Amino acid sequence: MLLLVILMATTTSAGRSLTLRRVDTVAPNAAVRHIDQLDDRTLERFYAALEGGRQLTATGTDLEPGTVIVATDYYRVEAV
Amino acid sequence: MTEYVIIGDGISGSSAAETLREEDPESSITVITDEGEALYNRILIKEHAKGKLPEAPISIHEEDWYAERDIELSLNTHVTGVDTDEKVVHTHEGDEIGYDKLLIATGGTPTQLPVDDSDAEGIHHFWTFQDARKIRESAEAAEKGVIVGAGLLGIDFAAVCGAQGVEGKYLMRGDRWWRYALSSEGAEIMHEGMREVGVEPVFDSGVDRFETDDGQVVAAIDPDGERHECDFAGVAIGLTFNTEYLGDIDLEQDNGIVVDQYMQTNLEDVYAAGDITRFYDVLLGEQAQNGSWGSAKEQGRIAGVNMAADDEAEEFEWVSSYSITHFDFPFLSFGHPTLGDDHAERKYSDTEWRRIAFKDGKVVGGVLIGDLAPQSKLKQLMREQRDVADQKEVLLEETVDLDDLAPPQEQ
Repeated sequence: MLLLVILMATTTSAGRSLTLRRVDTVAPNAAVRHIDQLDDRTLERFYAALEGGRQLTATGTDLEPGTVIVATDYYRVEAV
Repeated sequence: MTEYVIIGDGISGSSAAETLREEDPESSITVITDEGEALYNRILIKEHAKGKLPEAPISIHEEDWYAERDIELSLNTHVTGVDTDEKVVHTHEGDEIGYDKLLIATGGTPTQLPVDDSDAEGIHHFWTFQDARKIRESAEAAEKGVIVGAGLLGIDFAAVCGAQGVEGKYLMRGDRWWRYALSSEGAEIMHEGMREVGVEPVFDSGVDRFETDDGQVVAAIDPDGERHECDFAGVAIGLTFNTEYLGDIDLEQDNGIVVDQYMQTNLEDVYAAGDITRFYDVLLGEQAQNGSWGSAKEQGRIAGVNMAADDEAEEFEWVSSYSITHFDFPFLSFGHPTLGDDHAERKYSDTEWRRIAFKDGKVVGGVLIGDLAPQSKLKQLMREQRDVADQKEVLLEETVDLDDLAPPQEQ
């Protein structure tokens, strides 16, 4: 079951928009990263997006669609 | 052709192997590990133990990864000795593997509680993927748990109990969790997080002995004689570094292998990286230790660069992060929050608290609970080694604005 918690998207310099979607389960073939594996810039933007009101700016981060990020919940990065 | 041997296939050893292949394409690289599986994501195994994450995403490298890079991987291989004069590594099967440069990246093993029956069924230590599988299986069948070790590793057991519906007692030696870094105010937020997942902190406690029935743990007895019934126990009282196989070689050690900022030991052509090192921290200005994933990965990369260069080509400079993601609120420790000669802290709400540690006026670490927004600015100050301890009020504002700091003084 998927729970849509936030949907913040922005068009990146590469023309790609991203969404963070909270998920309850993870597929066996999913790429999963813990937040301690994110570089400082990506971590900052990830939390800024979660804390609301600010867009997830993907430019300069290494977030890829399909990746699940493990934070206080699990969030899947999705292309819009 | 240079022959590199790496003992250990954790993130530091694997990172070094990858770097060496990039920096020295014609070299011979051998990675030796006593584990039966190639590199996996050690940060995520706790999620598997909690029952939230399947096994497959935790694997990082298949064996093909090494073959594709012409890296020889020896799984299930115990190193029994190192001869640094002859430059040979001995294995349990009697093999002798010669090297020109050696990297030691064997990390540690959880320290066993020095009490009776601490190896009984149902008592767990948490370090490897195999440990995580056993913990998951054991916790799924358990009703009552006891946790020992009031630090960053012990709290993972609390999270396992919470996620697996095990009624837990967290026995702590002092009056709070991670007392070296958190004041009572900060720790109480964590205690409340534990209670919310069904784990009760028990202070000024510990385990004097375990009770067993037919080899299975049934209770932990604290030093006051109080009995805590349990069919699951997690022990996380620290790491013992894996250096026994190094025997009596003249390698400088000080609760870990001493290396400089280039990951070089005191022995020529012998390097070390990862949890096992006591490294020279250029930001702290003294030897330090760090068990975070990012630090270990970077140490492996730095070791690889300097081994390939046969020179002091790049130094290790890193501000580490360690997160706890088990509760409704985020927790992040950075740098060296337990060190320093001064600190500042403030509580902002029932779930928000901040501590900043200073040494010689400079930020050397901190802990953020609830609101992690200031983390990048505080890390920046640590990297810049700015003298800011006399401006604590600015750093404790809910929103930290570095423009509010007095300009750096000319040195």
